[in-house]
Amino acid sequence: MDRPTEVQNLEHEIATLREQMIAMNRLFSVGQLAAGVIHEINTPIASIFSNIEVLQKSLDVLERQMQDTATPKARQIVETMRSLLAVDRVACERISAIVRSLKTHARAGDEEFRDTAIEQLLDDSLRLIQADVKNRVTIQTEYEALPPVQSIPHLLGQAFLNILVNAAQAIPGEGSIIVRVKKQGDFAVIEIEDTGVGITIDCKNRLLAGGFTTKPLGEGTGLGLAISRQIVVDRHGGSLDFESEPGKGTTFFVRIPLRHQPAGEA
Amino acid sequence: MDTNAQAEVLLVDDEEMVITSVRAFLMLETEYNIHGFTSPEQAVKHMETHPVDVAISDYLMPKMNGIQMLSKAKDLQPEAARILLTGHADKQSAIRAINDVGLYHYLEKPWDNAQLLLIVRGAIERTQLLRRLQSMVSQLDDAHDSLKDIQTRLIKAFL
Repeated sequence: MDRPTEVQNLEHEIATLREQMIAMNRLFSVGQLAAGVIHEINTPIASIFSNIEVLQKSLDVLERQMQDTATPKARQIVETMRSLLAVDRVACERISAIVRSLKTHARAGDEEFRDTAIEQLLDDSLRLIQADVKNRVTIQTEYEALPPVQSIPHLLGQAFLNILVNAAQAIPGEGSIIVRVKKQGDFAVIEIEDTGVGITIDCKNRLLAGGFTTKPLGEGTGLGLAISRQIVVDRHGGSLDFESEPGKGTTFFVRIPLRHQPAGEA
Repeated sequence: MDTNAQAEVLLVDDEEMVITSVRAFLMLETEYNIHGFTSPEQAVKHMETHPVDVAISDYLMPKMNGIQMLSKAKDLQPEAARILLTGHADKQSAIRAINDVGLYHYLEKPWDNAQLLLIVRGAIERTQLLRRLQSMVSQLDDAHDSLKDIQTRLIKAFL
């Protein structure tokens, strides 16, 4: 390779890295903001939840007090209030579930292994991508019964989220994502299958290394899978593989040992 | 109706809405007297002159956090049960609260009303039992003193 080309290549690489750094930094700030927002949302939700319950109970008391003396109109108003409160409760539960999912992913700094319900972790991640793909991608889950898995939940959740975001982005129009959980010996196996564009052989090798993306600028850092791999393989002693057929779709296989073996004892 | 009716509950949260919600719930379910404060300083001032059965405090508040508030509550009325009700759930603050302030319970927001009621009820019962125990011990002390006095006088009378 002659020198000018080499310099050009290096310059190009530096420019790419700089772009990645900026994108990472932006994501980091957004993450920090989200953690603050979660905390801010928590209190009003708690208040609304409590109020709904108090209002429902108050309506019971009111109805008992009215007994036969109430006019039909008064009864109708009480019934309307009751059904509105029921709607409010469901709406509030939905907000609360989303906030809980975000909370799982925002618990940075917490590096402890703890017993984790993998299904719940996947549901949390699915809930977060659902908003993005609602009318486009159908999501299906097939969970086999699984004992609690020792993991660092927010990290493993991040790995799942990265793979799921990739799966959703790989589907150009309508399609589906199937998430399966199985137990194989001492491992939990999580399969994430999408009906997306698939991965060409050329991309396959570079994919897990990091710093490689086919997504437009601003949409991907090219680090998602490399980070997922680091979380699954290096931190949890598991494995991350995939099978793909261009034009048909991709399936990712995440294997996590049920019991964590600290480094040096494996 | 509660056995520990007319209990005094102190509620501290810089968010008025939390006080309103918890107060509405406890007023519906119990006969407790609820004293709500958005300022921890005023809550402490209240405790200087009014006995309370349980002090419930938020954690993150301007000027004084929940642990500092409950620590003052402990100085003023050590027998009154202390509960931290927090949306800011970091492990360090929880551990510190339990160890330093002798917390009766640590609750996270969003709280569950049924659980909150159970905990508050238990806390009040504990405080009231402690106070009864204290008054019985002091009655016992008094009785012991007067017995001693009688004994001394008896001995004097016979000598």
